[in-house]
Amino acid sequence: MNELSTDNHKNSSSLSIKDLLKKVFFIDLIQGLFITFNYTFTKTITERYPDDEKWIPYKRFRGLHTLNRNKEGKELCVGCELCQKSCPTQCITVIPMEDKTGKGIADRIAYRWEINLLRCMFCGLCEDACPTEALKLGREYELASFSMQRQIRSKEELIKPQPIPVEFEGGVIVRATLEKGDKEIKVKPDLSVQKRWW
Amino acid sequence: MLSEKAVKEIEEITTRYPVKRSAVMPALFVVQKEYGYVTEEGMREVAKILGLRPILVFEVATFYTMYNKKPVGKYHIQVCRNISCSLLGAEHVVGIIERKLGIKVKETTSDKRFTLSEVECLGSCGTAPMMQINDKYYESLTEPMIDDILKSLK
Amino acid sequence: MATVKINGKEITIDDGTLILDAAKTAGFDIPTMCFHARLSKLASCRVCLVEIVGQKKLQPSCVTPVMHGMEVLTESPVVKSARSSMIELLLANHPLDCPVCDKGGECELQDITFKFGPRQSPFGDNKRRFNEEDYILSPVIVQNANRCIQCKRCVRICAETVGVGVLGSIERGAKTGETSFVREYLDCDHCGNCIEVCPVGSLMSRSYRYKSRPWDLKGVDTVCVYCGTGCQLTVQARKDEVVRVISKPEEGINNETLCARGRYGYSFINSIDRLLVPMVRMGNTLEPTTWEDAVRAVRNGLSEAINKGKKIGGIASSRLSNEELYLFQKLMRGVLKTNNIDSGSRWDTAAVKTYAEIMELSKGGLSIYDALNTDTLLILGFGISDENPVTDYIIRRISGNKKMNIIMASPRGMKLDNSAVLSIRHNPGTEGVIIGGILKLIYDKNINSLKNLGGKDYLKDLSKEKVSDITKTAWQDIEAASGYIMASNTITVAVGSDVLRVPSRIEFLRMLIEALRILGKDVKLFPLFDRSNQRGALEMGVHPDILPGYNFIDGDGLGADGIIDAASRGEVGALYLAGEDILSDFPDGVFAREALRQTKFLVVQDILPTETTEFADVILPGSSHAEKDGTFTNGERRIQLVRKAIEPLGGKADWETICLVAKALGIKNMEYSSPSEIWDELAGLAPMFAGVNHKKLEPDGIQWPCPDIDHPGTAIMYTEKFNRPNGKALFNFREHIASAEVPDDKYPLILSTGRRRQHYNNGSMTRRSNAIFNQWPEESLELNPFDARRFNIKDSEKVLASSRRGEMEVKVHVTDRVQPGITFLAFHNRDALTNLLTNDALDPVCKIPEYKSCAIKIEKLNGHK
Repeated sequence: MNELSTDNHKNSSSLSIKDLLKKVFFIDLIQGLFITFNYTFTKTITERYPDDEKWIPYKRFRGLHTLNRNKEGKELCVGCELCQKSCPTQCITVIPMEDKTGKGIADRIAYRWEINLLRCMFCGLCEDACPTEALKLGREYELASFSMQRQIRSKEELIKPQPIPVEFEGGVIVRATLEKGDKEIKVKPDLSVQKRWW
Repeated sequence: MLSEKAVKEIEEITTRYPVKRSAVMPALFVVQKEYGYVTEEGMREVAKILGLRPILVFEVATFYTMYNKKPVGKYHIQVCRNISCSLLGAEHVVGIIERKLGIKVKETTSDKRFTLSEVECLGSCGTAPMMQINDKYYESLTEPMIDDILKSLK
Repeated sequence: MATVKINGKEITIDDGTLILDAAKTAGFDIPTMCFHARLSKLASCRVCLVEIVGQKKLQPSCVTPVMHGMEVLTESPVVKSARSSMIELLLANHPLDCPVCDKGGECELQDITFKFGPRQSPFGDNKRRFNEEDYILSPVIVQNANRCIQCKRCVRICAETVGVGVLGSIERGAKTGETSFVREYLDCDHCGNCIEVCPVGSLMSRSYRYKSRPWDLKGVDTVCVYCGTGCQLTVQARKDEVVRVISKPEEGINNETLCARGRYGYSFINSIDRLLVPMVRMGNTLEPTTWEDAVRAVRNGLSEAINKGKKIGGIASSRLSNEELYLFQKLMRGVLKTNNIDSGSRWDTAAVKTYAEIMELSKGGLSIYDALNTDTLLILGFGISDENPVTDYIIRRISGNKKMNIIMASPRGMKLDNSAVLSIRHNPGTEGVIIGGILKLIYDKNINSLKNLGGKDYLKDLSKEKVSDITKTAWQDIEAASGYIMASNTITVAVGSDVLRVPSRIEFLRMLIEALRILGKDVKLFPLFDRSNQRGALEMGVHPDILPGYNFIDGDGLGADGIIDAASRGEVGALYLAGEDILSDFPDGVFAREALRQTKFLVVQDILPTETTEFADVILPGSSHAEKDGTFTNGERRIQLVRKAIEPLGGKADWETICLVAKALGIKNMEYSSPSEIWDELAGLAPMFAGVNHKKLEPDGIQWPCPDIDHPGTAIMYTEKFNRPNGKALFNFREHIASAEVPDDKYPLILSTGRRRQHYNNGSMTRRSNAIFNQWPEESLELNPFDARRFNIKDSEKVLASSRRGEMEVKVHVTDRVQPGITFLAFHNRDALTNLLTNDALDPVCKIPEYKSCAIKIEKLNGHK
């Protein structure tokens, strides 16, 4: 360090005229602008979220819970309440019921399945506990809303098909459109137009 | 309803035992003789005569394989499939009968004449392979013998 | 005594103790599956195998008794691997649908698998399947036979304890399964005890089906509200909804058994018709109002009655807790200065005195297990199997294990008949004469020893023919009964309150007891009560002539029928009914209606709308037993805690409401913070409760007397002699009075009334439970097949039944439970108000309205209307 600082000292005293010239002709600025100018011809790495683009996370991402159906379209959730039991923050409420109409894979389905997102810490233990693989932490992460009530999500919503299919690999930025609703703001992805950011 | 004769027979059987309940097995055979198989109604009647709960009769009837719980044909062919008969070709015997009658085990021919079933040891190991048709034993079976037997029954 | 070594630990224990119990004493738990402490031993699951040093094969510890010098290993490698294999075999055919199964979370198989089982299974074959879908076996049971592990607990409890024996084990080997006869819909007690003992999810409760998981439930241990047996049960609620009732194996006299009412009669608690807000009459309608306004209205009404010098009456139901009953009588006596107070049982002084003296109520009594430690049990005057089903279960279970002669005397066939050596059928209301007949036989054979028997002169004119004629009972039966009694050393006489509801010579019972004692026999008395806190009501002084703690007074107060009588003459200014539906309970419905119309001011404090609430001027919402703390006293004088499972839906518990009324009337000393405080006040008044407090009552309750705080309570207590100066009872004897209404040509049948197993009193509580309602949806008139042929009536046909007072349409149920010439109708159904038919003749001795019998005729409906 010492050597370096003496060097600098020497340089600053000896090159003072050069520095002066640099300052007069805005050499640093030109150099900087040149770099900036160069970048206008490289690939962009910023993401125009939420207006035009949206990041689709990987499959392993733990976002909003989803309740799945099997291939025949039957509800996989049997209302066994194991997710509720395993939840460390006690934010899940399950009330089962009997259903003989064949809605679910067994004659037991969830009458109510609710999650309180204000308390949820997205640890994924519920997903681990689920014996029928009905419960999955999905890839939706835009959870802000205008009301507290909206933070309690129920089965009716969670069982709907997700905007991002399960098979979709993720890890990409896709084109998106911003939709402002009364209750919340959503960014709707268009999975067909995508790019890898690296 | 059981015939008067059958009821009388069951009542006669009960006198042989110190406890009425002991007569449940012979009584069920009477029912089987009467209807060809042990019917629900028959079991209820036996229970009534012996002063038992119907479920007790049902337990006995389902426990023993010699009570037919379903209607059988006129000739009930029971082929022994235990070790001695099996070693000497019980499966073969079953195969022959299946082929000849065109039915599988536990099935009845469409003309309701024959029912084929596999049963456990009938106590005739010395003359294996053997089968029982209704109350009669047919022993040391060979293919031509089976042919003859089935023909004689037709 | 035997000294055994268990896992190296030496203990000394009674001969004949099972290894299982010995190991538990030594501190080692052995897992079990098929074992059940109060059922016969089966030893079929082999999970409890242990190694006995010196024996080659492992032995099932649940049937092997200990022997002196035995060395048992319960945790050796051999035992562990055998245990694990047994569990593996149980699981070989047990479907792993635990997430769907209702038992998940409290399944015994699940528990032992996690504790001892293998974590994998080599069995790759398909599991056996009996059914693809769960099927419904009864109004309360749904079965999934695939999950059955053939422990036969359900089969055993059904046959040995409940005594209906409708479940059985069918097929054999790997195909064995437990179910009903040809899997038919069951016609049984619907008590659900099979569900309770099922270790897996094979038998499941229909009302609890897919409602919850055990870990969601908050349970409180409390006491059943439906009869005087006093079963302990656990009410389990999810949030504020009661979802099921279970019982614990080791607590209470019932030991896990419950009846259909106790187990399924909880729906009324969360019923949508519950009275939740106070209501005040405005003109012709009842308008909802606030508590303040309602209590003010009560105050005004009561004050007006006092000011005008009119009578005030109070009738409290015997399903209120001791504390509430005490407060109620304090309100009546202390604040309103009246002795016109009664509990719903309609007993007046004479009746209570007779019954209390004969059954020695004020002196205590026996616990049921002591009472059943006897040679002969005589049950009289009580529809025991219908009114106290769990007492019936206990008697059957005990009698199955030891030699005990049960003599059942009842007008109607009872389920306990199948455990009895002798069933006596008699005409309704002739219990006393039956006793007279038995006594006569005993007296005739022992004239010398019984020289000094008080009241023996009354036996003179009691001839064989006369007894048979009055009771319609074969003389041989009475002879047989006296034979059994004379051959026994210990005799328990269990008498229900029905004997006091009918005119009869009940004094014979007193004589019989005394005669047997003179003859040197041990006579035990066991009273049977039909209401949960009937005994408590007497002990708390809810009676015109009794102050708390059986302090008899000679007051001028009126009993319930006296109050109604006075009301019909317009003498009653205010009537306070706490939990009592007088219109469907009172024998003569027409008369009671008129009486309520004549009552100036009627306060009804109840949980559900009834006939009576329609007449009310003020309705105060009550609280069910699940919504408050308190105590009940059962038939064997055991004081047991009732605990709060959910907050009072109406906002106030009954005791709070009574305190509010007292406060509104300007009384200062009736403010309490909890029922426990009320109890302490009352314990200070009655020496027999002095040592009892709420804390001490856990878990099984205390039998009074309990004079000080260290006293453990008294289980056995009765005296050899009557508590009279000369050791003899006083007699209050009257001639047998024939029923006020005997059948004649015009009304040829006797109608007797009573309760059914499924329902309780006016049915306002039990009828709201779907599980119970489905068992008995419509009241029907029981008719003997002989009479059915005589009147040409078929089963399930609707007929018009009429008496001299009223008529009703009713379905006929042809059964041989009733004797020829007698019909039976229960009084639970609001649509079939039986008391419009019945008789209001008061028994001249006891003044008990003749509720049991009247003459009716039945006519076919078609062509008539």
